[in-house]
Amino acid sequence: MPPAPIEDSEEFRIFLDELGEMVELTEANLVELEKSPGDPGLISEVFRAMHTIKGGAATLGLEDGVKVTHAMETLLDEVRSGSRQLDSSMVDLLFSVLDWLKVWRDALSAGLSHPSPVSLLESIEEFSSSGALGPGPKRTAAVSGAWESETSLPPPLKEAIESALARGKTPAVLKVRFRRGAPLLSVRAYQVITYADEIADVLGSVPSAEDIEKDAVGEELSVYFVPAEKGDALVGAVSSVTDVSSASVEPVGLQGSTEAGASHRSPEELQSLAHHTGGGGRPVPEEPATALEISAGSSGGGRGSVAQGGPQTQRQGEAAPGHSGDASTGTGEGSKQAGTPTPANDAPVVRKTDLGRTVRVDVSLLDFLMDTVGELVIQRTRLTQIASKLQAEDETAAAGQDIGTLAAHLQRISQELQEGIMRARLLPLKNIFAKFPRLIRDLSAKCGKQVRFEMTGEDTELDRTVIEAIDDPLIHILRNAVDHGIETPEERRKKGKPPEGLIRLSAWHQENHVLIQVEDDGAGVDVEKVKEAAVKKGLMSREAVSNLDEKQALELIFLPGFSTAEKPTEVSGRGVGMDVVRENLQRVNGTVEVRTRRGHGTTVSLRLPLTVAIMRALLVLAGGWVYAVPTSSVEEVVDFSGKTLQTIQGKPTIVVRGRVFPLVSLQGVLEGDMWNVGKSCQYALLTRNGKNLMALAVDDLIGEEEIVVKEMGRLLSRVRGVAGATILADGDPAIILDVNYLV
Amino acid sequence: MAAVSQAGESERQIVVFTLGTEAYGVDIASVREIIVMQKITPVPRTPEFVQGIINLRGRVIPVLDLRKHFGFDVKPPDKDQRIVVTDVDGEIVGVIVDSVFSVMRVPQSAIEPPSPMVTGPEAQYLTGIAKTEDKLIILLDISKIITDAEKRMLKEIDLAHAVLDEGDS
Repeated sequence: MPPAPIEDSEEFRIFLDELGEMVELTEANLVELEKSPGDPGLISEVFRAMHTIKGGAATLGLEDGVKVTHAMETLLDEVRSGSRQLDSSMVDLLFSVLDWLKVWRDALSAGLSHPSPVSLLESIEEFSSSGALGPGPKRTAAVSGAWESETSLPPPLKEAIESALARGKTPAVLKVRFRRGAPLLSVRAYQVITYADEIADVLGSVPSAEDIEKDAVGEELSVYFVPAEKGDALVGAVSSVTDVSSASVEPVGLQGSTEAGASHRSPEELQSLAHHTGGGGRPVPEEPATALEISAGSSGGGRGSVAQGGPQTQRQGEAAPGHSGDASTGTGEGSKQAGTPTPANDAPVVRKTDLGRTVRVDVSLLDFLMDTVGELVIQRTRLTQIASKLQAEDETAAAGQDIGTLAAHLQRISQELQEGIMRARLLPLKNIFAKFPRLIRDLSAKCGKQVRFEMTGEDTELDRTVIEAIDDPLIHILRNAVDHGIETPEERRKKGKPPEGLIRLSAWHQENHVLIQVEDDGAGVDVEKVKEAAVKKGLMSREAVSNLDEKQALELIFLPGFSTAEKPTEVSGRGVGMDVVRENLQRVNGTVEVRTRRGHGTTVSLRLPLTVAIMRALLVLAGGWVYAVPTSSVEEVVDFSGKTLQTIQGKPTIVVRGRVFPLVSLQGVLEGDMWNVGKSCQYALLTRNGKNLMALAVDDLIGEEEIVVKEMGRLLSRVRGVAGATILADGDPAIILDVNYLV
Repeated sequence: MAAVSQAGESERQIVVFTLGTEAYGVDIASVREIIVMQKITPVPRTPEFVQGIINLRGRVIPVLDLRKHFGFDVKPPDKDQRIVVTDVDGEIVGVIVDSVFSVMRVPQSAIEPPSPMVTGPEAQYLTGIAKTEDKLIILLDISKIITDAEKRMLKEIDLAHAVLDEGDS
């Protein structure tokens, strides 16, 4: 029995992260693969992902995961070697493997027991026993044995090398050194062997594949392969594996290592190699060689003077097998040993991985920083107040001026700090977009529709809270597009449209907002049907409905309890409606809008703020307390003191430029007696809630400010009309109102 | 939190406060700090026992009035009143009490299981009774008080929603 996985270990968490990434990547690749079934690059990608997961699972003793990925890997290997065709049933099988892996991952991360893979394994088994074109060639000569020098290689490996020599092949050895202390070494070793196997024929490795599976891996790995000419390509390819600090190729004579013919490459050559073959097509933008050493060139200063990996590679070739100085110690030792005559090598050798451009930060830390900066802003505001007070008093005017200058300076700094932290909270939309191609694929299959799905702008960044808030709404909108929007192929043909429908998801920046749009070229929304449904559901009277124009009628779909589907389908009838979509968006100060053209399609647009932590708000006074009203929901403020109010049906109203606003008092609204507009009220905020106009009477206006939005804890998270709280300049908290839910 | 005294006997540390004539105790582990009474901003549309919100060093936290929550008579504010800031699973909630008496170590042997002696509305939060030389301290489960307040909140808010929604149509 393997040791029980240690759920708290760093390795376990890294594995879970990697598993998630691999599953997501594979999902995208499978969707691609369905479009171009034979693509060897994609097949290799999927194979590699399975392999990586298997390696990680084996290291942690997660047997079920090993079994599933191993079975799948075997099938994929048959595809790669040409003895099996990848057809849609195999893609389906792969999808079900991914589904199992997802459930498995969730169970692992929650510390729960996971579903048995038995039935899945059976279906893989069943599948693999059918449909193969012939027995697949055995590709990997697995060998066993612990680490030994080449002169005393384990017998099976020795045999393999001998037989290769006998066949007139020229074997060579790829020596890879991993960064000291790197986690998941066995997974990396697996990756190296897999990459090598793609480019050349692997004869065996030290440590052997079996030892690697048992996690008996050190910082060094030797992979024996034929033919030797592939050496350069191998070095380039494996250099992209995470935590590889150096890689070199030596020829193999069974009598021992020779220096002659060791792969000496100039840094430039190597760099270009790494670019060309790096990762074998794995998308690693900007960082083709994640773990190569960079010796910062002191001469020239241009790009050409940066030598990636050069000295290390050479050194490995010259030194005794596998025991050159530790590459990861960097500075002194490293550059001395490198001993190449270029002056650039006097510069300290730094490693790119150590100086990675990103760090992982716990979200709670960002929240804490945000809170602290919020406090800083408040203190700064106080300082400004003190300054103006001092300036008003003559004798301390000079001091007041100094403090004022200081406060202004502080303001700029704290603002920059705040912006910086908010930027740190941004995530690319990719985080939620990645799963949509699969979603669309499954949905369209279920609904019997043909859909082409296009996605753009997934690199657009948004605050993580906003991203979280729009995940479910987007799923719902996409579901609607497939289920209600796109017609069946027959219907489309009848209408003279191509049988394949189009759904386009796009995102882009616009000033301080991000716009996300879901367009389809389907049937469009039948406005009359919408009206009919609203009447049937008792949401509105027939009369009222008949007076609505098209735009207003479309607004009906956002009413709670609305759904046009005659009967809820499995696909979209899940009790979530567009009302929930709108509510989710409003929570992050976003808006949603639907446009439709009958017969031509529907466009749903989401408009979102980049960040949510800060908003502009009007501070008003009502009943002795300060309230913040988001500026975005106030059209205008009017002073109605001294004017006589008109009443319609006994209720006070304000008429502004011909538009009639019912006048309610803010204090009254909050206390349950909204028509009671007291004498103290002087200003009215003109607001709009959907199509409803409303004037909110308040006692006084304090001003418009940028406020930091605070949560009030779970206890107060659901109060109707209350969006949160903020802290005022004097340190007192104030309620932020949600005008849409006030009345 | 259970600790072991020098005599080797296990003890509990409790924060003792008063409400009316009774002394109550809560486990010190669930108390984050005790602060003096301050201006509390009311939150509209919440039940009466929700006194409002305060600014706790940049964090906005809700404050409950324990007297109102228990259904006791309301007492005019005075300088002895304190806000006991509790932390239950990361949810920070302030609780107004009449006064805070002290932090005490009570040996486990001096704690008796809940008795039918306590019959007030607070009885449902009872975890035991600590006997000290001069008084009896009613031990309360603060996390239960908070979760119960949450339930009451949701119930009353849902009722309010229902009424409002009816009014809409």
